[in-house]
Amino acid sequence: MALDAEVRAAAGRPVSAPRVTRKSHFRIQVWATWTVLALLLAWGCRALQLDFGYVAQKLPFLLGLRLGPDGFIQGAVLTLFVTAVSMVCALGIAMITAAGRLSDNPVAFAFATFYASLFRGTPLLVQVLIIYLALPQIGVVLGGLTSGLIALSLNYGAYLAETIRSGMMAIPLGQREAAMALSLPRWLILWKVTGPQALRLIIPPAGALFVSMLKDSALVSILGLWELNFLAQSYARSSFRYMEMLLAAALIYWALSIVFEIVQFRLERRFGRGVAVVGRR
Amino acid sequence: MRTLMFLLLAAVLGPAHAGATLDRVKRTGVVTNVLLDSYPPFEFLGPDNQLAGFDVDVARAFAARIGAKLQLQTPSWETIVGGHWQGRWDICICSMTRTAERERTLSFPVQYYASPAVITVHRDEQRIKSAADLSGKRVGVGNGSTYENYLNRALVLDGRAVVAYPFHDVVAIPGDETINFRNLALGPGVRLDAIVSSLATATASAASLPALKVLSTPLYAERSSVATEKGDPQWDALVARTFEALKTDGTLARISRKWLGMDAIIDGP
Repeated sequence: MALDAEVRAAAGRPVSAPRVTRKSHFRIQVWATWTVLALLLAWGCRALQLDFGYVAQKLPFLLGLRLGPDGFIQGAVLTLFVTAVSMVCALGIAMITAAGRLSDNPVAFAFATFYASLFRGTPLLVQVLIIYLALPQIGVVLGGLTSGLIALSLNYGAYLAETIRSGMMAIPLGQREAAMALSLPRWLILWKVTGPQALRLIIPPAGALFVSMLKDSALVSILGLWELNFLAQSYARSSFRYMEMLLAAALIYWALSIVFEIVQFRLERRFGRGVAVVGRR
Repeated sequence: MRTLMFLLLAAVLGPAHAGATLDRVKRTGVVTNVLLDSYPPFEFLGPDNQLAGFDVDVARAFAARIGAKLQLQTPSWETIVGGHWQGRWDICICSMTRTAERERTLSFPVQYYASPAVITVHRDEQRIKSAADLSGKRVGVGNGSTYENYLNRALVLDGRAVVAYPFHDVVAIPGDETINFRNLALGPGVRLDAIVSSLATATASAASLPALKVLSTPLYAERSSVATEKGDPQWDALVARTFEALKTDGTLARISRKWLGMDAIIDGP
């Protein structure tokens, strides 16, 4: 690919023409296989004799192009909103927790490990229900949306903290020592030396976590939030068109996930630009 | 520290839980009715993405009569019947039956309609003709419903237990009622052998799923009440008064005929 070519050119090695051809052949074959698989899937769906008229009728609601009856966002837009807000909160929580996890302070370390263990060791569904159903019994009454956001943020914050920690720990100590030898301040070492290198390692698993969070956001439907999964199930139940509605929801989740994956790929490429990895496409 | 922040956050974001229901409705001018999103014909998501059905229309009439704006919320049924609403919702015009168990956490100011419990089977079902034939069978019921209690021989209505349980060792399979009907339509005994539900939902499901057959003999009479959170007698009195007025002027009977095809409205607290 272009990036590898640049790297090789910079390294003073000639870019061989046959190699480029072989690579483009590979790409063409990948796309061809994808197309065949997608067509097979579409053909399989056709064999189910789906009522596309019903799907088309419900699609604007599923996508969230219209507001719900109470004037609030719904469908895929609400799903994206829940995911985006939880993502930002989880990132903040994870950075603090990772700092605690890497800290020399025993109390900070204990806080971080206790939290991470608690939220990684219990099911997300149980956490959602505790925050929504159990907290009111001690006087803390949260709305459905708030409960869902808190549960997703706390749960994914715990996983993300471990991802960030492992990324930071994978940076060889020599990098830090070399920067210190140049008498760089601590924040600059993090910002310019260890941070960018860690990000290269953190982004792929973090991206995978966010894709999985997008799909886990379906769990908040039990709190009465009219997000994508809630609407799909509700329409399916009222019309008995389960196949249509569930497939439509699945395809929308899939399309959103692909967008997330593309963003992740771009970020990966940006932070990996100093490192030429053989086999990268 | 994190717990403290969490509680602070909760205090800021959460709705107020103290204070009587009537005060809140008066202050905000909004009455929040809690119901299900799929319990046709009482409440379901209509073709235009709006909640529709018998209970929705009754709630509209109620809100209009007390001069408040109606808001509908649709959490899962277990959350509603579990009580401890803590001010999240003001009223449940949602086809709830008054039981001894529920009376511990909820208040039931007024009854509004009656629909007996019935058995629904697959059209090709040969073995199940009455309640006695349910022994050892897999029977679908709504999650946390009175029908679940009935099959477990533990239903107490209006202060007295349902006396006749002519079956033993029924496998009650709780789930979403509309999904249960769908499962029963797959064939006798495929996933379920029968369903116990209210006559109204059974009739509505049989109308859209021709494979189903509703057995005509009712199991027991069941009356649905309006539920509110415990501890606000003035609100309960207003609810009871408003419903009496809606019954007297025929509003509820009209809504009943529209959705249930008959007048199922009943008097009494």
